[in-house]
Amino acid sequence: MSNNLRVKSSNYIDETTIVSFKFNGKNYHGYKGDTLASALLANNVHLVGRSFKYHRPRGIMTSGSEEPNAIVQVGNNAAITEPNVRATEVEIYDGLEATSQNCWPSVNFDIGGINNLLSPFLPAGFYYKTFMWPASFWKKYEYFIRHSAGLGKSPTKPDTDIYDHKYIHCDVLVIGAGISGIMAAKIAAKNNLKTLLLEEKTQIGGSTIYQNSEKFKIDNKNSSEWLINEINEIKKLDNLQIKTRTSVAAYHGYNYLLARENLTDHLSPSEKKGKIRQRLLKIRAKKVIVATGSLERPLIFNNNDRPGIMLSSAVKKYADHYGVICGKNNIFFTNNDSAYESAISLHKKGIKVQAIIDIRENSKSSLVEEATNLGIKIYWSHTVVDTVGYKKINKISLKKLSNDGQSTTGSKINISCDCLGVSGGWTPAVHLFTQSGGKLKFRDKDQVFIPNKYPSKQISIGSCNGDFSLNDIIKNCLNSLKKFLEIENIEYENLDIINPIETEKRNIWLLPSDKVIGKTKPFVDYQNDATAKDIKLALREGFRSIEHVKRYTTTGMGTDQGKLGNMHALGIVADTTGVKMSELGTTTFRPPYTPLTFGTIVGRNVGEYFDIFRKTPMNNWHLNNKAEFENVGQWKRAWYYPVNNETIYEAVQRESLAARESAGILDASTLGKIDIQGSDASEFLNRVYTNAWSKLGIGKCRYGLMLNEDGMVYDDGVTTRLSENHYIMTTTTGGAANVLGKLEDYLQTEWPELDVYLTSVTDHFATASICGPNSKKILNKLIPELDLSDENFPHMSFKEARIGKIKCRVMRISFTGEHSYEINVQANYGESLWEHCMEAGKEFNITPYGTETMHLLRAEKGFIIVGQDTDGTMTPIDLQMDWIVSKKKYDFIGKRSLYRSDTIREDRKQLVGLLTENPKEILEEGAQIVSDLSKKPFEMLGHVTSSYFSPNLKKSIALAVVRGGKKMMGKKLFIPMEGRTINVTIVDPIFLDKENKRLNA
Amino acid sequence: MFIINCPFCGERDQSEFKAGGEAHIERPKQPTELSDDEWAEYLFMRKNIKGVQFERWNHAHGCRKWFNMVRDTSNDEIKLIYKMGENPPIE
Amino acid sequence: MLNYKSSIIENKKYSGLSIKEISPVMKLNLRGKSRDFLSTIGKNINMILPIEANTSSSSDKYTSMWLSPDEWLMVSNNIIDKENNNYEIGDLLFNKISKTNLGAVTDVSDQFVLINLEGEKVFDLLSSGCPMNFNKFKEKEGTVAQTLLSQVDIIIHHKKHNNVNLFVRRSFSEHLFSWINDAASRL
Repeated sequence: MSNNLRVKSSNYIDETTIVSFKFNGKNYHGYKGDTLASALLANNVHLVGRSFKYHRPRGIMTSGSEEPNAIVQVGNNAAITEPNVRATEVEIYDGLEATSQNCWPSVNFDIGGINNLLSPFLPAGFYYKTFMWPASFWKKYEYFIRHSAGLGKSPTKPDTDIYDHKYIHCDVLVIGAGISGIMAAKIAAKNNLKTLLLEEKTQIGGSTIYQNSEKFKIDNKNSSEWLINEINEIKKLDNLQIKTRTSVAAYHGYNYLLARENLTDHLSPSEKKGKIRQRLLKIRAKKVIVATGSLERPLIFNNNDRPGIMLSSAVKKYADHYGVICGKNNIFFTNNDSAYESAISLHKKGIKVQAIIDIRENSKSSLVEEATNLGIKIYWSHTVVDTVGYKKINKISLKKLSNDGQSTTGSKINISCDCLGVSGGWTPAVHLFTQSGGKLKFRDKDQVFIPNKYPSKQISIGSCNGDFSLNDIIKNCLNSLKKFLEIENIEYENLDIINPIETEKRNIWLLPSDKVIGKTKPFVDYQNDATAKDIKLALREGFRSIEHVKRYTTTGMGTDQGKLGNMHALGIVADTTGVKMSELGTTTFRPPYTPLTFGTIVGRNVGEYFDIFRKTPMNNWHLNNKAEFENVGQWKRAWYYPVNNETIYEAVQRESLAARESAGILDASTLGKIDIQGSDASEFLNRVYTNAWSKLGIGKCRYGLMLNEDGMVYDDGVTTRLSENHYIMTTTTGGAANVLGKLEDYLQTEWPELDVYLTSVTDHFATASICGPNSKKILNKLIPELDLSDENFPHMSFKEARIGKIKCRVMRISFTGEHSYEINVQANYGESLWEHCMEAGKEFNITPYGTETMHLLRAEKGFIIVGQDTDGTMTPIDLQMDWIVSKKKYDFIGKRSLYRSDTIREDRKQLVGLLTENPKEILEEGAQIVSDLSKKPFEMLGHVTSSYFSPNLKKSIALAVVRGGKKMMGKKLFIPMEGRTINVTIVDPIFLDKENKRLNA
Repeated sequence: MFIINCPFCGERDQSEFKAGGEAHIERPKQPTELSDDEWAEYLFMRKNIKGVQFERWNHAHGCRKWFNMVRDTSNDEIKLIYKMGENPPIE
Repeated sequence: MLNYKSSIIENKKYSGLSIKEISPVMKLNLRGKSRDFLSTIGKNINMILPIEANTSSSSDKYTSMWLSPDEWLMVSNNIIDKENNNYEIGDLLFNKISKTNLGAVTDVSDQFVLINLEGEKVFDLLSSGCPMNFNKFKEKEGTVAQTLLSQVDIIIHHKKHNNVNLFVRRSFSEHLFSWINDAASRL
């Protein structure tokens, strides 16, 4: 480390702890407390990256999150490397490895640098214009463009770091812990408000804590001394939580904010192990105080992007805060007094300040006076017209400005330097304010946009509100806090504040050069390489809206969102087109304020927690018996149970045969179950189902079809009348929650007069469904005291029983067409019930079957599955289920829609069965059906909705929806597939046991 | 993400609620008396205006109750919340 | 004859937080609007149902939680018999309420799994996945809320200081329990 680039005056750097790190493969040392940027500068490394388009050498420009140039890749591990990190925000730790981006083979020798020489041929819109034709070449262009585009590299392996989310609710949120934020936090917390103070930097205190000028005083103390005292005070407050390294990313409506809390990025790999890396804070604040400060503006002049050209405030911060000298021979270039503060501070540290170039004609502030007294040469009314130095600035040229500021006069003066600190004034950081929906107004006096209309309970205070002098900041902040927090007596009243007063202002958005604009490179957006020339070109080509200019020139579209240059872009557009800044408006600030990692956004919602899963009480049995699972909604359902390495096809064929030949068992616990009680329960069912319910006997079950008001099938299931006013409804697995929601909606909003209560009991019951010719014998073994005769317990009826002491409900209902029973017990007995069924069924070779076999068995019977054979456009009539639609009922949900002109069309898609000419051929679900192969393009008549090979019928069967299908029985149609056509015949959708003999077998 | 003041449970996060479309569209008592056009008016036509809108919301992950909301869709300001069955405010 | 098996087998302890399932517990869903309904319940279980939103009431045997203006969840304070699911109080209330059309009584004992969280980090854990504001909730014992934890519906009953009961639907319980443990390990 070159120690002569360090000054020993910083309280924020621990010079006793040396930290070693790598940058671009080379070893460097810094001190604890350094950022990557400050440590590199201390090692005299200015060149840290290449610009996006021209690959121009770029150096560290700022000291904060607004940095456009010093964008680095951190980490070289394929799982946890991170691109686009601002070197000004990276705190160094032992073992840190960082590399430059957008350069190959190295930052010092970059082949893409040739683009800089080609730059006259790469104006704004170059890519849009050049790669448009011939269209067929796009594929070739794309390869090269994609190759050269983008900054940094994405990780190639899954992130091994851990992240978390946290909701925080507070009375007052203060964003930014500069002097105004700290005062606001103290006032809020001391007035019994639960307060949260967030600061994106490592320390709180903003720029005041390292302010060493005696010209800034509060109550006769140096401002820094006074503030450090306040910081010690607020750390004792119980009501106040302070989080540093926490950057607010987004400010949404209703004071909902997202912030990233960085917990371990500053720690060495061994220290951060096992800890949460970053936490996304989801904050709800009753009131928000925005104290985000302001960003120093650069000046826009020819070749203003060389390494060594920095913001004047950054030069000061590196010296005062980090104890790092950015240059041994400094020049400042300014349009306001801030640069004088920097120059004086440097000078007092013994660092050479050769000159200050000021575009103003003069200024009478005490700072200017002090600089003059210190012997610093000031060039009034001058501007920098060019800079020299490829990898670092070594010389500037200046000329006198004309009175109107549009051109230069006189002869050129050349001065050598190794650092140029620029200051173009200050831009309030209104990003979060506008994200929240706030409206800005333009203040002509100092050419800033400041908050005007607040959309929620919030205020902006300090320099983000356009208050720049210490006195204005404190006085205005106290006044607005009093009102905003509704406080009578406020601390800090009658503070005695002294600060230098700026007397003169002059703003020129684009400074003239001695060359014509076409021959200059005044960069506006450093990261995206957009120059003032590009903006002017866009305007010449007819772009007027600032949003269009932005997109055409890419100004403000980098990872920094143009925090530095956007104002100048607006200014140049305004000046060129003659439109007022206040009328031009700004481009939209979008979240996040600084880039967020995907890890932070996702938090713990990865892997197992990516989505919710639901399990049935028998799930463990299925797992232990090697079931394959399928996701049905959020449920994990047993799909099939392969034996001896069976394929899904083999397993399903075996399961299907077993269920019809002897006995099968299905876990039906996932079906939705709604307990319905109340004196109007029957009337309610009459209104929600298409068929009639009043006459259903107690202890009897009935299948019901539910429609939407548009007449389309919504859900189906069996409902059982348990007693006079008590029913239990079953719904489809996927539809359960929505059906309950819909029924509640009707009850609460359309039919509040009905005395009906609905309670979900889906999870309360475990359901085992046993089917097949031997199911009766199995149930008899399980519950010997239950009379299973057809007289006592016919199909579509229900019995309450007990297995041992445990109550259960048994329904004799069937979705397979076989004689079958559904046994429902309380869920915590479900696994045991299943085991008992298996035990009782052992002698009958009871075969567990999954959802795939269930689908096959019901398709043999032509039973629909809502959501598979229907898609929200099928009426019961379309499904050939006219029998279930009551003609007598005056009304039910969807009834009126069944005879709308559209629903009575005869050429609607209707459900039919399909048989293939070759019985072994299995159709693909979703395959399209056509009748005429000669006319192209084919006219699609419909598609296959369900298709299986039926082991019981020994042929392939399918269900399909076909336009006008009902009237096409026996008709031959075609299914064109890739390279061949399958011949099919339309048949009745019921393939097996049309007479329902098996139900009573 | 709004904070919605459920008329039964109090202020809760929007994620607990479901929106249910335009409010005060009553299901016709005698649908069979309606022409296709009249029925279609009830079934399909919704205002979806920019500005003050009357909406139905359900505290789906809370008390499961439906209620009405007056919301300005241009800035998401919730102007009023009132229970089902109560009359909408005038104007 | 049938064995009882709850969905959660292991109880866990972390610093500042212990997580355990409590079972079997009888749970009844009570619905009703009329004064008769409230007085009939009061007479039969010797406890007045809470009518103030987000609150609960308890007797020595039962706790009733407000879920909505016409819905309550009533749970037994103590563990019940695993070998028998014939709850006398459930049958009694069903006969007095459901059968007389005063309202509805539904057994939901296994609809919900009861997970008890105890320790100083209870609300830290909840705030890692629940958007609700617990600032006031945690100041008062007996408060009740229905909300979402990691997108899963839950009923939270604030039993006493730093001690809450979570009721979650059984099919979600394994997922939520795993999620809670993962979250707890990061507190």
